[in-house]
Parts: sequence; C-alpha cells; structure tokens
Amino acid sequence: MIKKINASKSEKIIFVFLILLGITTFAIYFMLKNECLFVKNFDPKNIDFKKPNNIAILNAPCGNVIIELYPNISPYGVERFMTLIRSNAYENIAFHRVIKNKLVQAGDLEFGKKGSLNYQKIGTGKSGMGTIKSEIDNNFNYTKGSVGLARTFKNDTEDSQFFIILQDEPLFEGEYTPVGKVLFGLEVLKKIKNQRHSEYILRPDFINSFKMLN
Amino acid sequence: MNILRVILLLIFFITPIKANTIYNIIKIPNLEIYEINTKNKLKYFYATAPFRLGTQKNIVCSNPNKKDLEIKYRTVYKNLSKYSYDYLKKINLKYIVLCQNLSISELYTAGIPDNVMKTLILDIKFNEDYFERVIHHEVFHIMYLQYKEIFNDEEWIKFNNPNFKYAKCSTCTNRLGLKTYKKTRGFFTEYSKSTASEDMAEVYSHMIIFKKNKIDQFRKQDSILDNKISYIKNKIKQIDSSFTF
Repeated sequence: MIKKINASKSEKIIFVFLILLGITTFAIYFMLKNECLFVKNFDPKNIDFKKPNNIAILNAPCGNVIIELYPNISPYGVERFMTLIRSNAYENIAFHRVIKNKLVQAGDLEFGKKGSLNYQKIGTGKSGMGTIKSEIDNNFNYTKGSVGLARTFKNDTEDSQFFIILQDEPLFEGEYTPVGKVLFGLEVLKKIKNQRHSEYILRPDFINSFKMLN
Repeated sequence: MNILRVILLLIFFITPIKANTIYNIIKIPNLEIYEINTKNKLKYFYATAPFRLGTQKNIVCSNPNKKDLEIKYRTVYKNLSKYSYDYLKKINLKYIVLCQNLSISELYTAGIPDNVMKTLILDIKFNEDYFERVIHHEVFHIMYLQYKEIFNDEEWIKFNNPNFKYAKCSTCTNRLGLKTYKKTRGFFTEYSKSTASEDMAEVYSHMIIFKKNKIDQFRKQDSILDNKISYIKNKIKQIDSSFTF
C-alpha cells in the first residue's frame, strides 16, 4: 500500500513560484515580441480635424499615421499624392528605405509591391504617371514628421515615392517638394523595420492601407 | 548566375549606412554645417576632415582650422551676400563648402564649381590678395556651366586680336598670374589668357569687385575689354534682368 505523503509548506511555495515564473516568462516573451505593444494607435474618427479633406491615413504594421496634406504649399505634388492615395496605389507597398530615427521612405509602385519585390531595382520604380515638377520655392520647415516627395539627383523627377522624416532636417528645405506633415502616429513610423548596416531593407514592412479621410 | 545574384544582393545589403544628410544631398563626405540661416539661403559647410572626390578621387581638400575658417567665412559671406536668392537660384548655386589646400589632380585651385550639385567648393587658404575676386570668378563658372547656351566661346574669341590664341585648357598653360594688368590690352590678368571661359570669369569678377568708375576707365582705355564687359553685362541681363554690377 502506497502511503500518501502531503507536500510540505516550502514545497508548495516552490511549486507556486515555478508556476508564476512560467507565466511571467511566457508573458514577457510575448510582450517583447510584440514591438507595437506600447505604440498608441490613433483612430481618426475620434479626432476633429480643421481641414478633414486634407487628411490622409496611412496604416502601417503598428497602427495609423495621420497626415495633413498641404495643397497650398505644393499643389502639384499634393495632387499627385492624393491621386495615388485615392487609387489605393500605395497598398502593400514596401517601406524600402529606412534609416533608424531619421527617415522612412516608401512608394516604389513598380518594384516595391508585396509579393513581387525586386531587391535589385527597388527605389528606382515608376508609377507610370510620369514625373512632376519640383515645388521647392515656398517656405517650409522640414521638422520631424514632415512628408516630402522623393526624387533622383535632378529636380523635376518626383513621381510616387515619398519619405517621412523622424528628426528635423533643415537642409531639406528647398531641396524636396513638401506634401504634408504627420499629425499623429510618428511612433508608428519609428517601429518600421530597419537594418543597422543598410538603409535598404531585406524583407521590409509594408503599407497596409493608405486612404484619404474623406 | 544564382551565385552572382546572391553576391549582388549581399553587396546591396551590407552597404554601410550613410545617414549623413549633407552627404546625401551634395555627395561630399566629412562636412558639417557652418551656417545655413542666411538671407539669400546659401548654405555654408566646412570640412571636418580631409575629403577626396570624383570618380578617380582626384579632387582633394583638407579641413581648415577654426580661426582661419572664422575669418574667411566672413569674407566669403560678405561677397556672396551680393547675390540675391533669385539670382543664386537661377544660376543653380546653393551650397558653399569651405576647406583648405584644394587641389584637382594635384594642381592647387581656388575653387571647384559644380552646378549639378549646386555646390561651390572654396579653398580658404587661396592667395589672400585675390581671394575675394576669386569667389566671384568661381561664381561665374557655376553660371557658365549652367548656361552653356548663353555664353558662347566662339563669339568671345572674336573680341580678341585675330592672332591671339587661348591655351587648350586652363591647366595646360603657364599663364596663371592673377594680378590685374596696368595696361590691359584686352585682358584683365595673365590668367585671362588661358581659356575663353577663364577670360569671361576674370572679366565678370573684375566687374563685381571694381567700382563702376574704375571699370569705366578700363572701358575707355581698352576697346577689346569694353566689348567683353558689354558682352558679360548683356548675358547676365538675359539670366537675371534685375542684377546690377
């Protein structure tokens, strides 16, 4: 006959401790893995905008980035940007160039599409709509969160690619066509996948959606 | 073929990150901002370490010491402040790089203009006597490169005596003197005799530096220079009608 032995008090404590340790480890593992955990996701429905017609919402892996567009500063640039947003052209397009805490760039519609990424050519793709003139004469402070159109070394080569800066860049004024500024969700952009040794990203993050508010 | 692709991709992804905004814009390494809040929106940078440029890395310049930089910046700033934002925009000049001992293929030079990158590199240690004039000389080169269709070497050559010939290039001649002639005979300096574009740059820089009555004196005494001065004046008017010498 087997004699039942009751666990001592200290054994019970160790048992409970081990269970708690397991749960904590498990929770920490998921918290660390979820890089978006502490990133606030802004819902545009809960925000009153002064100019709702100029508001665009970019949805990235960690949430929404709410951008106000400035048609008064760069009418042609904003018109092109809005056209592409309204046609859902930016959906599933890679953030192909990311410099940590400095800049994220996306919008290569030709070589940056999810499922058909072309690493050799990414960043050189076109929209098929042709290039537009640079609009760099108006005063614009390229402060953190500013959105501009990317171009080649030459002016008047803006197309579909855009960048958002994550720190102030006063030298960008007069160089790049500004199209808007991030109102909410800059933290979302800081979580976009980057690489230490390269500004071009292997297996990059993608734009989930990019829509105008109205 | 696949191995080649992998190698290409590897090169692509291990390219060191160059998050330097100045480098990204004008492709010159080792620069820092000296002053960017200027009236005519010129942005001044200085070298913090020596740099090499060009496909053959034949353009070399060193970092200046702080004191020299302070003094020469004031001179450069004063001279370039003569140009309005609109004028600079038209000639495509936006960035000034200050460094010392600037050379191209081991030949020392006062400045290197690059209208495509909107940049003028200036050697702040260049001959003190002519430094201010040289700034405008280099500004002209930017303009000349930007408006090749306006400045015509063939037209210019016709101003000279028929038996005069320029050298084939500005560096393949010994005519390097920058002292202004007392008796000009069609040329402001010895260096004017090197090439047509250098001659134009010399005329332009003298027109900027010298007062109007002094230039008028030259014009009265020297009919060739008179024609050359009129030519430069007219061409500048074509580029920016509001510009005055």
